Amino acid sequence: MNNIWITTGYTVREALARKVFLFFLGLSALAIIISAIVVNIISDSTLMGGVDFKQGGIVVNEIATSIELIIITPLTSLCVLLAIFSTASFVPVMLEKGNIDLLLSKPISRTQLLIGKFCGGLLVVLINVAFLVIGVWAVVSLRFSYFDFTFLSIILSVTFAFAVLYSLIVLFGVITQGSVLGMMLAYFIFLILSPLLYMGKEQFSVIIKSDFINSLIDVFYYIIPKTSELMGETTINLAIGKGIVDTQPILTSLAFMFAALGYSIYLFNKKDF
Amino acid sequence: MNVIETKGLTKVYSSSFKKNKIQALVDFNLNVERGVIFGLLGPNGAGKTTLVKLLLGITFPTAGSATIIEKDISDYKIKEKVGYLPENHKYPSYLKGGEVLKFFGKLSGMNGVNLDKRIDELLELVKLSQWKKTKVKAYSKGMMQRLGLAQALINDPDLIFLDEPTDGVDPIGRKEIRDILIELKNRSKTIFLNSHLLSEVELITDRVGILNKGKLLREGTVKEFTEKKEEYKLVVDSTDTEPGNFAYTKQPDGSYLVKVADIAELNRIIDDFRSKGILLREIVPLKSTLEEMFISLINESERNNK
Repeated sequence: MNNIWITTGYTVREALARKVFLFFLGLSALAIIISAIVVNIISDSTLMGGVDFKQGGIVVNEIATSIELIIITPLTSLCVLLAIFSTASFVPVMLEKGNIDLLLSKPISRTQLLIGKFCGGLLVVLINVAFLVIGVWAVVSLRFSYFDFTFLSIILSVTFAFAVLYSLIVLFGVITQGSVLGMMLAYFIFLILSPLLYMGKEQFSVIIKSDFINSLIDVFYYIIPKTSELMGETTINLAIGKGIVDTQPILTSLAFMFAALGYSIYLFNKKDF
Repeated sequence: MNVIETKGLTKVYSSSFKKNKIQALVDFNLNVERGVIFGLLGPNGAGKTTLVKLLLGITFPTAGSATIIEKDISDYKIKEKVGYLPENHKYPSYLKGGEVLKFFGKLSGMNGVNLDKRIDELLELVKLSQWKKTKVKAYSKGMMQRLGLAQALINDPDLIFLDEPTDGVDPIGRKEIRDILIELKNRSKTIFLNSHLLSEVELITDRVGILNKGKLLREGTVKEFTEKKEEYKLVVDSTDTEPGNFAYTKQPDGSYLVKVADIAELNRIIDDFRSKGILLREIVPLKSTLEEMFISLINESERNNK
């Protein structure tokens, strides 16, 4: 366990040495400052125009959450995009000749090494997402004097969506010892495949008459990580306090993550360097 | 006690489609005793690095078995007592010299004050104390090599694998590294050295193995490798008198080279010199250099392979 912590800690250090994470922290700080200025400049009547204040806290809650989501949704998506880019090389760099030889000559198992790298990447993204979400939440909450801590649970849903994609990046990092293929696949799933399957699953069954192809699309849908649902529905439901309404996207994505990580560990344990 | 034992260790690398097979190590048997400096020599591609990687679990054997410090090489925990300096090592460029040692020290199970103290001792030993807080990306090749040696020693290992440890190091630095290795040997550490620098190997190793195309051609002490048993150089005081009835070659410096069948014949020759009043100053058994032996063995192996 100690070895995993050491590897995780040094992966965070490696991430900080790369400017992308600092860039995103800067960007998040800027977004928080701008949010603070905007929500404080705009008057109550503009923000809650037409709203009957007699309804009290429920309305304030909805408006505060909506504003938080409007600010956070695009930024967390950007965060995941940047995180994919900046974490994709963690495993390939570790596997470089001269680097892996040294690591494997130490009393650390290959499994611990890979899990440490995975946890390190995840921890960095968790820190970034938490900084952004807590910052925006604090600004809006202070403005409305309304503090709903359940909103902060979206930190976990966004980090989890990244974790699922990161497991794929780790797998292809081990297979190819490069970052390009894993990164491309992660982007493809995040930007194209997952939204397409999420939005089009119902429509496909109407357009396509073949039961076989529809079954195939179904299988495909359940196998591919559901980052769109995780970043969309699941995150919004958590933000507005509904909790986890549909467990299927979480469970199937979790299964994908464990399968990808498990296979990465298996391959890594067999690989010659 | 054998610190390294290999039995029929074999490594075959296959290409992606398993059409081409490269035998990197073939039925390799070797025992290395505790407290010796063992030098493994061989041309490029002989299998030296493959052997070390197999012993450290970086690569897996195709056949055969091996133990280091009396434990099977598949047990990663044995590496708590092992140090390794790879040939082309890389350290995270964003870390400082001291931080590199701290990272590998922690991975080796060390921590706290003991680790900090050890780091300072080792940086002092390899003369990098003033570079402790400098990022390694600013280090020269020689400095990286010295830092690599410190890294290999961080956990005070019993067995140390060094792959070209003096590569890129200046002559003074090489001497210092040799002195460190001898000091380690005096503390009963076992050192396994891969090197192309035969003259250096000759200076510090107790035993040597010569490897070519994955096969161990010969193994023995440096003395066994280099001694020419029947050839001597006899250095005499200058004289006009010539020695008697035996084959010799007179050298420009006035000394004589003689070939004898045994020690009795050598003594008869010495008696002959004395009987003629020629004063002997020195009797030197002739040696070939390790390099000469190495080249001769490799050439012979190449001829046999044809």
